[in-house]
Amino acid sequence: MYLEQRLYETFGYRTFRVGQKEIIEDVVAANDVLAMLPTGGGKSICYQLPGYVLPGSVLIVSPLVSLMEDQVQQLRLRGEKRVIALNSFLPDEQKKRALMNLQHFRFIYASPEMLQSPLWQKALKNVAISLFVVDEAHCISQWGHDFRPDFRKLGAIRRELGNPPCLALTATATEEVRNDIIETLQLTNVRQHLYSVDRPNIAIQVDCVDSVEEKVARVLDYAKTLQGPGIIYVSSRQWAEMLAHKLAAEGIEGVAYYHGGMDSEQRLLVQHQFLCDQLQLVCCTNAFGMGVNKENVRYVLHFHLPSQLEAYVQEIGRAGRDGKNSIAVLLYTHGDEDMVQSLIEAELPTDEQVRLFMAYGNELRSLVEINDVQWRLLHYMVEKERTNAHTAEEMIANLQVAIEARRQWKRNKLGQMRSFLFRSHCRREQIVAYFQQRLEKKPINCCDRCTLSLDSYQRKQTDEPAWAFRGWEEELRQMF
Amino acid sequence: MLSYLLLYCLHRFNGERSLAAVYHLLTGKKSAQTLQDSKWFQLERVFGIYKTLSLGELEQAAMQLLQNQWIVSVDERSYVLTEAGKEALHEWLVSARFFTHLNGLLYDTVDRLFWYRLSLTVQTLSNLVHRRQFIPIHRHEATLTWVKTYLLSKNLHELAETLHKELHTICSALSEEEATILTLKLTSFTRIGWTNEQIAAFLQKDRLYVQLTFQNVLHYMMKRAERESKQFPILHDMIKNLVKPVSLTLSAQKTYDWLMKGKTVKEIARIRHLKPSTIEDHIVEIAANVRDFSITPFVAEDTKRKIIEAATRLQTRQLKKIRDAVGDEISYFEIRLVLAKAGESSVS
Ligand SMILES: [Zn+2]
Repeated sequence: MYLEQRLYETFGYRTFRVGQKEIIEDVVAANDVLAMLPTGGGKSICYQLPGYVLPGSVLIVSPLVSLMEDQVQQLRLRGEKRVIALNSFLPDEQKKRALMNLQHFRFIYASPEMLQSPLWQKALKNVAISLFVVDEAHCISQWGHDFRPDFRKLGAIRRELGNPPCLALTATATEEVRNDIIETLQLTNVRQHLYSVDRPNIAIQVDCVDSVEEKVARVLDYAKTLQGPGIIYVSSRQWAEMLAHKLAAEGIEGVAYYHGGMDSEQRLLVQHQFLCDQLQLVCCTNAFGMGVNKENVRYVLHFHLPSQLEAYVQEIGRAGRDGKNSIAVLLYTHGDEDMVQSLIEAELPTDEQVRLFMAYGNELRSLVEINDVQWRLLHYMVEKERTNAHTAEEMIANLQVAIEARRQWKRNKLGQMRSFLFRSHCRREQIVAYFQQRLEKKPINCCDRCTLSLDSYQRKQTDEPAWAFRGWEEELRQMF
Repeated sequence: MLSYLLLYCLHRFNGERSLAAVYHLLTGKKSAQTLQDSKWFQLERVFGIYKTLSLGELEQAAMQLLQNQWIVSVDERSYVLTEAGKEALHEWLVSARFFTHLNGLLYDTVDRLFWYRLSLTVQTLSNLVHRRQFIPIHRHEATLTWVKTYLLSKNLHELAETLHKELHTICSALSEEEATILTLKLTSFTRIGWTNEQIAAFLQKDRLYVQLTFQNVLHYMMKRAERESKQFPILHDMIKNLVKPVSLTLSAQKTYDWLMKGKTVKEIARIRHLKPSTIEDHIVEIAANVRDFSITPFVAEDTKRKIIEAATRLQTRQLKKIRDAVGDEISYFEIRLVLAKAGESSVS
C-alpha cells in the first residue's frame, strides 16, 4: 500500500500501470533490473518514484540531451526542484554550483559523454547514488537499432561509482540485445521484467501501392479523413519539407515539418505547437519523436520503409499513449528498399575513410566528409580491434571485415522488415514474435491481415472556430 | 530575396572579394578577415544575419544573378554589378525597410539572448497571470535562470502591465507588418509562437524576408531599450547586463592582452611562440574592432596620410594597388592597419 500512497502523493495517479509496481519493488530492494515496457508504458515512473523512497540520489543516463531536458522540465513542472541535467551547455556559474552540491540533487540526468569527464566523475564519487538508471538501454548494443558506442562504457563507469544498483530500461530489445545489455552493464542476479511490446490500441495497416505519386495521393487522403493529431515519418529532410508543403497546398490546415537540419528555435516551436494541438500534423524524419511526450497522437504514417522492425515499432508506439484507439499505416511501393539500402551505406564508414583514419587519426574530419554515425562507428570499431591487430594493414583488414559484417547484418534486418510486409500472417503476431514473445489476445481492430475497419479512425466533424488574427494590438492585449 | 542580399554585398565588395567572402560574412564567421571585411566595405549590418545559409544556396543565387545579367564576373568567383544590376539593387533598397536598424555585427548573438529573455518572460508572465501551467519555450539554461530570478523580485501583475505598455509603444512605432511579425513570434498562454515559415505563409512573403524583418525589429528594440531606460524599464533590464564582448578571435584577444601590458610585436611573438606576421594579423584585427585602439605606435602620421590619400584617389581597398601607389617603403602591415581603422569613419 505504501508505494501506491507515494504514487498518489507525488504523481497524482491512483494506480500503477502494468508492470510498474513489480519493477519498482525490485528496484527499491536494490536488485539489478532489466525492464522492457512498451513505449508509452510509463517508464519514467519506474525510477522517479524510487527517487522519493531511496535514501540517495538517482543517476539517469540518457542518449539525447533533448530527452533529458524534457524530463527535467516535466519534473520541475511537478514541483521538483532537486533535479539537474548535466550537459555541456550548462552556464559556468551553475556548473560550478552543481559540482559543489551534486549530492544535494534527487535526480541527476547525464549523457554518457558527461560521465566520461574526470571533473564530473570526481563530483559524482562524492554522491551517494542509490540507483543507476540507463534509459533507452538498447543503445548499448551494437545489435540495437540506435547504437551509441559511448553507452558501452557505462559498465566501467558504474564500477567506478561503486557499483550502485542498476535499472536498465528499454521499449524495444530483442533477446540478443537484452543479453548484450546485461553483459555490458555487468548486471548480477538480474531481475528481468519483460512486458509485451504489443500495443493493443494501435491498429496496424500496410498499403502496397504502385508508385510514389500514389503514395502521395494516399497520404493526402489519410490527412483529410483520419482523426488527428498525426505524425508522418519520411526518411529524408527534403521529403519532410516537400510533403508538408504539398499537404498545405492541398488545403490541409495545421501541418508543419520537422527535421534535424532546422535551427533549434524553429524546431522547438514546431514541437511545442504539436504538443499544444496547435498543429494537427507533422511531417518529420526520425529526429522527431524521442521525448515528444504527447498522449493523443491518433495516427502514425510511414511514407518510407523503416530500416528495421525495432525502429518501426518504436515509431508507431508514439500513437495512442492515452490508451485510446489509434492507427499506424505503412505505405510501400516497389523499390522502397533501395532508399533503405543507400541509408545503410551512408551509415557505414567507407574504405577511404578507414584508410585516412589509419593515416591521419582524428584529422580525418577535416580531410573528407564523414557524418556522425560513420564517425562514431569507426571510432568504436578501431577501439575494439586495437588489441587484435598488430600492424596497420592488419587493422585495416580487420576493420573492413567488421564493416562488411555490419552491412550484412543490416541487410538481414531489412530482409526481416520486408518479410513483415509480405507475409500473409497477422502483423501483430509477427511483431511480438520478432521480440521472442507471444500474443495473448488480438484486439477487434487488429491489422489488415486480420480484421480492420477504418471507420473508427475517421475524423469527427467539429465546429471549432478557426483561430483568427485580429491585429497585433488585440493579440498583445490577450497575452497579458 | 537571397539574390538581392547577395547583390547588395557584391555591390559593396566591388569585385574585390570572392563569393566565399560573402558566405563568411552572412554566416558571421568570426575570423579576422571577415570581421575586417565587414568594416572596410561597410557591411556591418549584414554580418551573421543568415547563419543557416549554405554555400550551395549562395552559389545558386549567384547563378541567377548572372543569368539576369545583373552581375558580371571580373575574376574567378568575384563579380561586379552591371548597370541593370545597380538599378535592380537601387529599386530593392528603396523597399527594403529591414535595413533601417539592422546591425548584425553590433548585435551578433546578443540579439538571440535578448530575444530568449523577452519571449520567455512574455510566455511566463502570460501563463502566470492566467494561472496556467506551461513548458518553457526555450531550453537555454542561462535564460531560464535569468527569467526566474527576475520575476521573483517583482509584482507579476504590475510587470505584465508595464511590459504590455512597453511592447505597445514599440509596436506603435513599427509598421503594421513589423508589429504583426513580432507579436506572432511571441508565445502566450493561448498560442505558441509561430515559426518564420508559418508567418511567411500567413503574410504571403518570403521566409528570409520575415527573418530579416524580425531581426531588424529586434535591433531597433534593443537600441531603444539601451538608451531609454525610463520609457522601457523592463526591456532595459533585459539588455543591460547582456555581455557585449568585442568580437575578437581568441588568439587576437591574447595578443591584445599582451599589448596592453606594453609588450612589442617581437616580444609577443617570442612569448607566444608565433610568427611576428601572425601577431601583426592580430593587431590589424584589433584595430578593426576595438574603437579606442590607437594605431599611432605602429604607423607614422605621414605614412597614414599617404595611404588614405592613395585609397581615396584610386577608389580601392585592394592592398596591391595601394602598395604600388605609395611605394615599397610602406609595408602591407601599415596599409592594412590604416584601412582597418579607416573602415569606421570614411569610405563610401
Ligand atoms: Zn492481426
